[in-house]
Amino acid sequence: MRKYLFIYKPTPGCYVRNKVEAQRSPNVGRRLVVVLLGAAALIALVAGFITGFALKFPPTLTASPARLAQGNQPAQNAFIHLETVASVDTAITFPRPDDPHPSWVSYLPTTTFKVPANSVVTMQIDQEDTPSGLRNPFWANAQGIIGGKFHMTYFDDKGNPQAGDFSALDDPANAAHTFGIPDLGVFVPLEGLNAAAPPGSMNVITFSFRTGKPGIYRWQCFVPCGAGTIYGNGGPMQTLGYMSGFLVVQ
Amino acid sequence: MNGPSRIHTLRLLVAWAVLSVIGIVIALFIRLPPGDQSRQAGDESSLLQLMLILSVPVFVGVCLFILYAAFVFRQQGKGLVDGPPSYGNFRIQVAWVAVTAVVVFFLAGVGIAGLNGAAQATNFSTSRLATSGTAPVGSSAGHQVQVQVIGQQWYFTYRYADYGGAESLHLVLPVDANIEIHVTSTDILHSFWAYELGIKADANPGVDNIIYVTTMHTGSFTVRCAELCGIWHGNMFDTSGKVVSQDEFATWIAQLQKDNADLKLPPYAPAYFPSPRVKGA
Repeated sequence: MRKYLFIYKPTPGCYVRNKVEAQRSPNVGRRLVVVLLGAAALIALVAGFITGFALKFPPTLTASPARLAQGNQPAQNAFIHLETVASVDTAITFPRPDDPHPSWVSYLPTTTFKVPANSVVTMQIDQEDTPSGLRNPFWANAQGIIGGKFHMTYFDDKGNPQAGDFSALDDPANAAHTFGIPDLGVFVPLEGLNAAAPPGSMNVITFSFRTGKPGIYRWQCFVPCGAGTIYGNGGPMQTLGYMSGFLVVQ
Repeated sequence: MNGPSRIHTLRLLVAWAVLSVIGIVIALFIRLPPGDQSRQAGDESSLLQLMLILSVPVFVGVCLFILYAAFVFRQQGKGLVDGPPSYGNFRIQVAWVAVTAVVVFFLAGVGIAGLNGAAQATNFSTSRLATSGTAPVGSSAGHQVQVQVIGQQWYFTYRYADYGGAESLHLVLPVDANIEIHVTSTDILHSFWAYELGIKADANPGVDNIIYVTTMHTGSFTVRCAELCGIWHGNMFDTSGKVVSQDEFATWIAQLQKDNADLKLPPYAPAYFPSPRVKGA
């Protein structure tokens, strides 16, 4: 056989396998049980944490059905009413008392919305947060919405209520949040509540956009609004159910 | 070398040569990514093809020897006997290391030359760093276009320095043009990766990272973020990147400038440090 393997020098010989006999400690069985139990407990903890995290998913809000034209608002196929708050525990329209992060900034009542395909969706957002400012002023412009303008009731520097249609914020530093669906090209800035506004008031922003083919589209806020986190992009910005979610188009 | 050894060697060599030739012919017909939308992408595809062709004989040789040994040198009979002890063969070892080294250094040289050429073949001596407002596309000045890529959680936007710093949601580039891409970020690390264009560059806040691309064919491309950047990193991509004809680009950029007329954008700059860095706290 070995003469076939020309790279080997044929030499007679054989191998002697060394015998190693380990001395077993008398406690080894008990120690093994402790180690295995410890490892199992650790694995169970990690698995439980991951499963709990993965299963935590915000509930779904189905858009209200069709509505006839009201005043100067067009007829709509679907309607979604949302609220943005500086902290979940100060919510006026949609309180969420059992939230694990009552001090976080958030969209309410939820962040997963179900809307019909190929239709006009109208959104009303009750915006109660104060301005944070945009890192990229580009997002202060409304894009991809019907008519290019959103309707907003707001408060001026004297605290008087005002209303109007806007295609952008006057000052990007006044943005509190934005509602952006990148894959639909929809971006709407939400003006922060003026410091002069009476307590408990809100800016109400209304806009409409068209949905296309069915699918799951993600949406997010482009204002770094996670108060107290590095660059404002932590906490609610990085957790599903606060500043981002899904638009389920069916 | 005795008789049976020579037969085995000869068989292996012939089989290796035949299979390698077949493999190389197949490799010549495989279209490798990222394609030929840009010169850089084309260079990458050719380099990958060259590597594939060079690796075919190695792959065939290794697999062939393993299979040949497993079937032909299989131990017969019932009793298990220790194999012969193995000793080094100096000539084979030297040849093995030398051939491997030649292949590796050759490919390294080709790769370095490719990287070098990607930047050198593009003449940006007349490129403007500041906003000038003129439109070089279609002119005889080498078709330079300077684009800035701004990474942010979680979307890339694009500013066209030569067109008043107009900002766009999608990257649109003219064909047959030398493009200078400046990549930066407004928050954390992202990475701009235009797959079909064969370019990728890190987007770091406060850093102006420059890459070059020469567009060759019209078509669409995908932009992705290639640096884990948070919860929506996986969604930070845009399939609407386009390389269009010079005329289409002129029309598109004119429309973009018109759309941008009312926007309050900061002056075009190599990098941005906008406030607020932290909200509230």
